[in-house]
Amino acid sequence: MAETAQQAVESEPAETAPAEGDTKTEAGTEHSPEADEGLVQEGDIAGDYLERLLDLLDYDGDIDLDVEGGRAVVSIDGGEDLDKLVGPRGNVLEALQELTRLAVQQETGVRSRLMLDIAGWRADRREELSELGRTTAEQVAEAGEPARLKPMTPFERKVVHDAVAAVKGVTSESEGEEPRRRVVVVPET
Amino acid sequence: MSFLADSLEHLVRGIVEHPDDVRVELITTRRGRTLEVHVHPDDLGKVIGRGGRTATALRTVMSGIGGRGVRVDVVDTDR
Repeated sequence: MAETAQQAVESEPAETAPAEGDTKTEAGTEHSPEADEGLVQEGDIAGDYLERLLDLLDYDGDIDLDVEGGRAVVSIDGGEDLDKLVGPRGNVLEALQELTRLAVQQETGVRSRLMLDIAGWRADRREELSELGRTTAEQVAEAGEPARLKPMTPFERKVVHDAVAAVKGVTSESEGEEPRRRVVVVPET
Repeated sequence: MSFLADSLEHLVRGIVEHPDDVRVELITTRRGRTLEVHVHPDDLGKVIGRGGRTATALRTVMSGIGGRGVRVDVVDTDR
């Protein structure tokens, strides 16, 4: 939040909010079984928090808990009502994920990196963004000119960074401040 | 409308130190409807969040579930 103008263009590891998962390497971070136990507990707390919300709203939804890539993953699938919890461009989903993380932190005392998905929105979006990252990377590799993508959420940027990383001869970074932070794909020097 | 107040109360209770002190009231005036969130003074910072981030998240969720046009105000119970 204290990001200043001269920090606006920086490489990913210096990201001011590392907990948001904007670095290229963290999907593969190692974790021990004990860490997994903590993540299972995170999922349980999150599941209770969200289940009660669905009850109060009278929405149909099944909550699925998982641990994936070193973080707790909570997925809700069910009726059409759930689209309201996704919102335009997933903004309600992001807000609900934020609150769920806080609810988990309130009980465990530890900051949570839990991921919430509703109605498969993230899964669909991930596919789209991977494709965008891959094609942009290929164009940049060929043309030798950087490409600036439109502003995205930390989740969206992470997916694009991962897709770019799989293409040779290009690299990517984020620039600008939230909520206008965006991915720039640049040819490797 | 009470599902809005109930949902908001639940969302706030989960993220504070003193859940029993959380109370949400729906207030209707000529200028529109407001959900007033009352919390323990020590929890005020938590509910507002860094740079108002948590309060914004609460508003975003409320607008998603049908509370568009309903204000969300966080109030200190001491007042």
